[in-house]
Amino acid sequence: MNGSSPPEIGRFAEPALLILVSLADGPKHGYAIMTDVEAGTGRPLGPGTLYAALVRLEQRGLVEPLEPVDRRRPYRLTAVGETALSEQLRELSALAKLGLRQLNQGSR
Amino acid sequence: MRSLLLQLYPASWRSRYGDEFVALLEERPLGPFDVADVVLGALDAQLHLLGRKTTPDPAKGLAMTLRIGGYAAILGSLLWVLGFVAASSDKSEGVSPWAFFIVAGNAALLIALVGLSAFQARRYPKLVWAAFALPFVGNVVSMIGVLALVFADEGPFVAGFSPWEVWITGLFALVVGSGLFAFASWRTGSLSRAGAGLLALGAITLLVIIPGMMGLYSWDPLVSVGLFTTLAAFVGGWVIVGIGAVRSDRISLSSLPG
Repeated sequence: MNGSSPPEIGRFAEPALLILVSLADGPKHGYAIMTDVEAGTGRPLGPGTLYAALVRLEQRGLVEPLEPVDRRRPYRLTAVGETALSEQLRELSALAKLGLRQLNQGSR
Repeated sequence: MRSLLLQLYPASWRSRYGDEFVALLEERPLGPFDVADVVLGALDAQLHLLGRKTTPDPAKGLAMTLRIGGYAAILGSLLWVLGFVAASSDKSEGVSPWAFFIVAGNAALLIALVGLSAFQARRYPKLVWAAFALPFVGNVVSMIGVLALVFADEGPFVAGFSPWEVWITGLFALVVGSGLFAFASWRTGSLSRAGAGLLALGAITLLVIIPGMMGLYSWDPLVSVGLFTTLAAFVGGWVIVGIGAVRSDRISLSSLPG
């Protein structure tokens, strides 16, 4: 976490990224993250996958737990998590632009 | 079931995440997808705790399960129909070697059902469980029937049923279950809907044909033509579902909301 670059999202990159995107608009507990991801992608995010990624995100300091409400514990993005997410999304956006440009050039 | 699944996780993991994880599992009924996902998650937690560097990625693990299920559906249905048609046409005395193709096809279809059912969405858990259990049981009974046809005497085999009756009962359950599986796949949209539609069509028409095979109405050439057309639809449905599963094995990031 030191230095100029934020920690990588790392293993479980895809579910982890989906979780970070879900938490971008505010804290959510596990079930809310699952339904949010399912609504956004149309694909189920299983509880085992969710917690495997969530544990790693917490260990890397990208998300932090809040006090549980009725056993349901919300998580929120940390400042480092926000930076890592925005950097990751910028990279994906640049990659998408590059890919689309290459595709357009290839189809000509 | 929930507490049993939780026990699969390491004790230290349970003491930190157990309460909230069980609360999450209680939010809605568990489907096969959830159970498979939690089992893989628990395996990951165990290996993660051991500090293993080769920790499996549940997302990749599930994708692999989907791929294996897809290949098993393709291979199983083709083996099954090949064995079924060839064994039906085999007039030679003694054990038909084609019967083993049917058994191998049944075994592969069992793998397909396990792999593909894990990916059915959780919106209709009862339907998804039924769509898994019925064809699974049908497959097992059908396999037992075929093996009994090969190895047992022609007389009563189990509970007064002959091997052939056991096989046809298993086949009936397999066909009804496949139709249910197709219906569940269609509703959840998790697998190929074209394949699910064809599979449902094949299953429904096979249900009309099976009584003819049982001698409940006269078996004429028209029934034979209908049988082979129906088998083509039934197997084609499984193959298309399998191909669709092999192709759709990862979450599409491009569908993320902007």
